[in-house]
Amino acid sequence: MNSNSIIKLFFYVILVFCLLSCKQENSINEKDAKYSLYILAKDGREYMLTSNTLDSGMLKPETDGAYLDPKDMDRDVFVKNGFFYHLNRKTNRFSKFKLEDWKLVTTGFLDIKDFSIENFNWIGKDSLMLTGLNLSGYNHSKYIFINTVKMEVIAQGDMEIPAPFGHYTTLSIGFAEKKGDALLVGYTYHTAHGVSSYLTSDTLYVSELSYPQMKLLRTQKDMRSTYPGGINTIQSYNFKDDRGDYYFQSCPGIALGNHPDLPTGIFKIKANEKKIDQDYFFNISASKIQNHAYGMWYLGGNKAIIRSERKDLFKGLGDHYSTAHFEFYILDLLTQSVTKLNLPLDKGTRRECVIVEGDIAYISVNSTKSGNYIWLYNIKTGELKKGLQLGGDTDFIMRIDRLKD
Amino acid sequence: MNNQLLEKYHLNTCTAEERKMVEEWLFNTDVDGLDTVSLPENKNDIKQAMWRDIETVMPEVIKPLPKRSSIYFMWKGAIAASVFIAMAATIAYFVFANRSIGQADLVELNNPSARYVKHIDATGYDVAVGPNTIAKINNNDGMIDLTGSMLISPKKDINLVFEGTSKKVTLLKGQTYIILKNKTGVKSIIVISERNLMDLPPVMQKQLSAQFDI
Repeated sequence: MNSNSIIKLFFYVILVFCLLSCKQENSINEKDAKYSLYILAKDGREYMLTSNTLDSGMLKPETDGAYLDPKDMDRDVFVKNGFFYHLNRKTNRFSKFKLEDWKLVTTGFLDIKDFSIENFNWIGKDSLMLTGLNLSGYNHSKYIFINTVKMEVIAQGDMEIPAPFGHYTTLSIGFAEKKGDALLVGYTYHTAHGVSSYLTSDTLYVSELSYPQMKLLRTQKDMRSTYPGGINTIQSYNFKDDRGDYYFQSCPGIALGNHPDLPTGIFKIKANEKKIDQDYFFNISASKIQNHAYGMWYLGGNKAIIRSERKDLFKGLGDHYSTAHFEFYILDLLTQSVTKLNLPLDKGTRRECVIVEGDIAYISVNSTKSGNYIWLYNIKTGELKKGLQLGGDTDFIMRIDRLKD
Repeated sequence: MNNQLLEKYHLNTCTAEERKMVEEWLFNTDVDGLDTVSLPENKNDIKQAMWRDIETVMPEVIKPLPKRSSIYFMWKGAIAASVFIAMAATIAYFVFANRSIGQADLVELNNPSARYVKHIDATGYDVAVGPNTIAKINNNDGMIDLTGSMLISPKKDINLVFEGTSKKVTLLKGQTYIILKNKTGVKSIIVISERNLMDLPPVMQKQLSAQFDI
């Protein structure tokens, strides 16, 4: 063996050790990781990544992530306490997963027939309420309570929400919020014409149901905007502030309600009331944003962040998701002031893209020009800086979640 | 050293003296020089004896093959050539015939049914054509004329151009795309990978997943 081949051998040994130790380090991270990131790669593959920090570093889905089988997983997955929950709409199976050795492993499941999730709400540490519609027609409102430790159904049935009437064929439930012995449910109606066109009612409805019987007590109509909230397994549209006041946004833009002549707005239900505050309406489209918005997250105090489209930058639904045109604005819910964040334009029509921790809001941005990054916004100082980069094959950061509270 | 003694040793019936003798012989690493001088004289005899011994355990002697005539080689060549030509012709037939049938310049993908999806397995792609859909794809220039909806999974990367517009799309092998077009004009065209289905408005998404079972 000459000195050259000894050097080569030495190099290979070092390389193998490096690879082994890297893998080892990641597997420790995977178990105790604080955050999960759902990535859609350029080749259409999807990956789940985990990280202990969003502040810095670089991850590549194809080498650092768990490959997700498209038959089992989609991005309407929600996360709590280290577990992932997902309803497979083709198999009707609602499963609980955890990450183990770069795979999502099923730890429990139950079958929910003829159900399409519109909203999920944690009503206790291990108690989950799903509200939704019948898969067979999207015209009938249903609920289900699940014990997520045993993965068993506690109760299920119909919600007494008035079915579509007149020329309406389906409905969309945009939020469900428990208030004492009542459940407030926001929704609107649609007329669907085939697969590529539909109309939405110009009115949004909030029904008060008895809880947990789900019997209709009263319904409030509001015509200031339409399409309240949205499907919260994909993106957030509402929150309760520090005082207990509940805010939800409407989404009449083409990406959700398709009633773009009505403004995107924010509505409020006061802490001690069960009705929409008629004196409050934050008209987003009439503010300096001058566009429709989809997606809203609470930052604490009077502050929230909203994700709005740029109608001058996309042509229609065909390029709404693929063109980078989304902007982020900081809203003051009381003074109704609006401040634009100096971030690159973001792509992806709907994404769960904000995590708030103390004074820092982590915002994931998919920029066509400057890459996919988690940005750190300091809520106190207004400072913005780049954090974790998603490199390699990353096309879209579809969602970021806190794995453990 | 003799056979009987070795046998006794292995059967463990030696006396202590015999055992010692055998072991001395067995573990002795000294090799006597080979007596090569006496060999050449008897070499031929030894060879003959060896061959005779070998013959007793050999299978029947295989007769040498009769010598092939030149006619045989001519026929052999002719048959091989014929087989080769026949195979080439068959392959050529399938390749070119498929091109003229499956990859016809213009593929019509119409589905007049108001309710049911029509599945078509074309040469270059699998297509599910939505109800009330009229579609034509020109395989030569990738021109597509569509009114309605389809789900398409290309078997290789293909480029499509929407007739009457400048809209071009590249569909990648192995991915599934939803293509929708209702009105005229580029704004009404939607081409989206199945993985981005959730970017479409939920009302459309629900209709699409119900229609195409995705």
